[in-house]
Amino acid sequence: MALAPLLLAGSRRWKRLPGAQRELLLRGLWGAPPLPGLVRGFAQQARPRGSREAREAEDSAPVFQYVGQRAKRKERLFVWGFCHAGALGIPSFVKPDAGWKKPRRIQPTPYRLETAEKISSAACGYGFTLISSKTTDITKVWGMGLNKDSQLGFQRSRKDRTKGYEYVLEPSPIPLPLDNPQKTRVLQVSCGRAHSLILTDEEGVFSMGNNSYGQCGRKVTEDEIYSESHIIHRLQEFDGRVVQVVCGQDHSLFRTEKGEVYSCGWGADGQTGLGHYNITSAPTKLGGDIAGVNIVQVASYGDSCLAVSNEGDLFGWGNSEYLQLASITETTQVNVPRYLPFKVGKIKDAACGGTGNAVVNEEGNVFVWGYGILGKGPNLMETATPEMIPPTLFGLSDFSPDTHVSCIRCGISQFAAVNNRGELFVWGKNIRGCLGIGRMEDQYFPWRVTIPGEVVDVACGIDHMVTLVKSFI
Amino acid sequence: MAVARAARSGLNGLFAVYKPPGVAWFRVRDTVETLLLKELNSLEQPVVQQQVRFVPTTVEGNAGKELTLVATQLPVLAAHPLVRGPKFTSLKIGAGHRLDTKSSGVFVLAVGHGNKLLIDLYNAHLTRAYTVRGLFGKATDDFSDTGRLIEKTTFDHVTRDKLERILAVIQGSNHKALLTYSNIDLKTQEAYELAVEGLIRPMEKSPPLITAIRCLQFAPPEFQLEIQCLHETQQYLRKIVHEIGLELKSTAVCTQVRRIRDGFFTLDNALLRTHWNLQNIQNSIQESKIKVKLELQRSLGYQSRSGKRHTDMDQVAESELQSTEGTFASNLTDKMR
Repeated sequence: MALAPLLLAGSRRWKRLPGAQRELLLRGLWGAPPLPGLVRGFAQQARPRGSREAREAEDSAPVFQYVGQRAKRKERLFVWGFCHAGALGIPSFVKPDAGWKKPRRIQPTPYRLETAEKISSAACGYGFTLISSKTTDITKVWGMGLNKDSQLGFQRSRKDRTKGYEYVLEPSPIPLPLDNPQKTRVLQVSCGRAHSLILTDEEGVFSMGNNSYGQCGRKVTEDEIYSESHIIHRLQEFDGRVVQVVCGQDHSLFRTEKGEVYSCGWGADGQTGLGHYNITSAPTKLGGDIAGVNIVQVASYGDSCLAVSNEGDLFGWGNSEYLQLASITETTQVNVPRYLPFKVGKIKDAACGGTGNAVVNEEGNVFVWGYGILGKGPNLMETATPEMIPPTLFGLSDFSPDTHVSCIRCGISQFAAVNNRGELFVWGKNIRGCLGIGRMEDQYFPWRVTIPGEVVDVACGIDHMVTLVKSFI
Repeated sequence: MAVARAARSGLNGLFAVYKPPGVAWFRVRDTVETLLLKELNSLEQPVVQQQVRFVPTTVEGNAGKELTLVATQLPVLAAHPLVRGPKFTSLKIGAGHRLDTKSSGVFVLAVGHGNKLLIDLYNAHLTRAYTVRGLFGKATDDFSDTGRLIEKTTFDHVTRDKLERILAVIQGSNHKALLTYSNIDLKTQEAYELAVEGLIRPMEKSPPLITAIRCLQFAPPEFQLEIQCLHETQQYLRKIVHEIGLELKSTAVCTQVRRIRDGFFTLDNALLRTHWNLQNIQNSIQESKIKVKLELQRSLGYQSRSGKRHTDMDQVAESELQSTEGTFASNLTDKMR
């Protein structure tokens, strides 16, 4: 049609055509009769579809794949608790990224911490956290939080190259003086009040931080300044390979492959277990009731310690002011490891807190004793002999009769238990929201923490907690 | 007449019927009412009384037809059912927790004085058990397989182990919500003791809560779950199936929702369509009378004694009545005997 080229030239000419001619043009160009005055383009009028058409449309719909058949479960890290020291590793909690936002004082529920590598071990100290990975890369350990005693090593400040950071807000790599940095793997990390220990598979134990009581395993230097210190001490004078390191408040415990336990640090409460109440600055083997016994686990966080033998027997030493060892002795300090004759069955896992202790036996039942909120309601505040926490509080029910607790951890006055289904239960004093239950009140019996994943491991600190979690799918 | 009245007096109480799928709940209620009324009305044989009336009729007399009164026996129509209408025109039948059109299962009805018990039954906040069937691979707008298709996904990565992991998480978070919505002060020794025994349950209005969930069958793409829940609706259960699909990084729709237990009425107590008649319903009311009385007595007793007490009524009754709370569906028949 003669008017067709006019259309392509521009819209102004199109609008000047009288209505009837426009209509004719439309019909001519597009064939199908549209509604008068309306250009429908490719749209079709809605009409009722038969069931066969609906079925065919459904069959021809595209299928989306979100996850492959052999998808691996992802490792995640969740943190919660007190944020001001930067121990949670999320800088926006301390220094918000927008001017109008306020710094977050407490993170009351689990918050995901993104890490560069898969984290295999985590430990919480007094205002700082260490996380490590079993990688062969150069960077194996990251630290965040308080660094006033160089417990996170020397973190060089970017503004002034001679000074170090006092607070580390993000997981920052800790440079370890390894002989074979591309071969050695870090197995475990542990944090105390102001010192930390890093266990490697071939190069022994590295210690950093405060050494005023010899807890780093090196000689105590008077008037040593611990902040911005570059000293990372390597401990290799053990008889055999060290397989577990534990930091108490101001002392350190080392367990070797052979089942022997070494200790160093402050001993005023007898927590070094060496038979005296003095400071020890070099790791020394423990004797007492554990001499000759194959110890498979050591636990400590405050000033008292527990050890578990391969036969499931329990040994304890250290502070007993809170009835931790009152079942065998009246004294409030025990400086030699003593056997604890508790009738709780064969012990699989033990944890020592500031004032209370907990063990898990073979059947998965949790026993607690000591002082404080022990987990059996507000009425039980202290006991010298272990009391069992009913397994129904850990998820046992008629529908899931094989649920039991697989591991137990202690903070300074809180407990954390993980059951075999990967659910985390916490109880104890809720210091600055460290329980992660969303409330600020103390929790007198085990309470489930909602985490979007299956909990593999927990690390408890004074006022924060870190969990290693595997995603569901 | 006496028979019908006796029958009518026996119809006071609670009973359960099996609601078939595809039928609205009020139609079931109306059908039951109609059938009962039909039976009640048929019980009565219309006794037609006779009366003697003097009726003017023409008689062959002396001088042709004469009008005289003749005594005749006539039936009394005043009490005739065709004149008066049927004796029973309506029955008060109330419904307990409703089932929507697509779902099926145990549906509690109350007749006569039993309607008052329905309120008490509601306030007892008993749990209900459902079997829910789902299908992996597609998502629809109303979470059932008859809705409009939204998306199709693969599901070859889904295993029974992953499904059970998700179910454990659902059960865990709902268990936590049970404790939170019960409005108990968690710092008391009482709260600890109730938590240990598992007796805590909200006794007021709360969002839908799942007390227990587990997988009965798993044959991809189909699977069947048993869910025990509180304050729920059937659409909520379909939404749970949809969300399970999403958690598994796939999609799922619900194909069947079937209630197997409502409080203490189970599938064994529910009457099938062929058994909806007077005798069966009367028997059913009689059987459940004792259970209902004990159950509600306990519930009211507890609530009056200690304000609003948050104890699990089913658990309490379990020891005496062999209730079905917390037991597997397969053991239901054994426990009921």
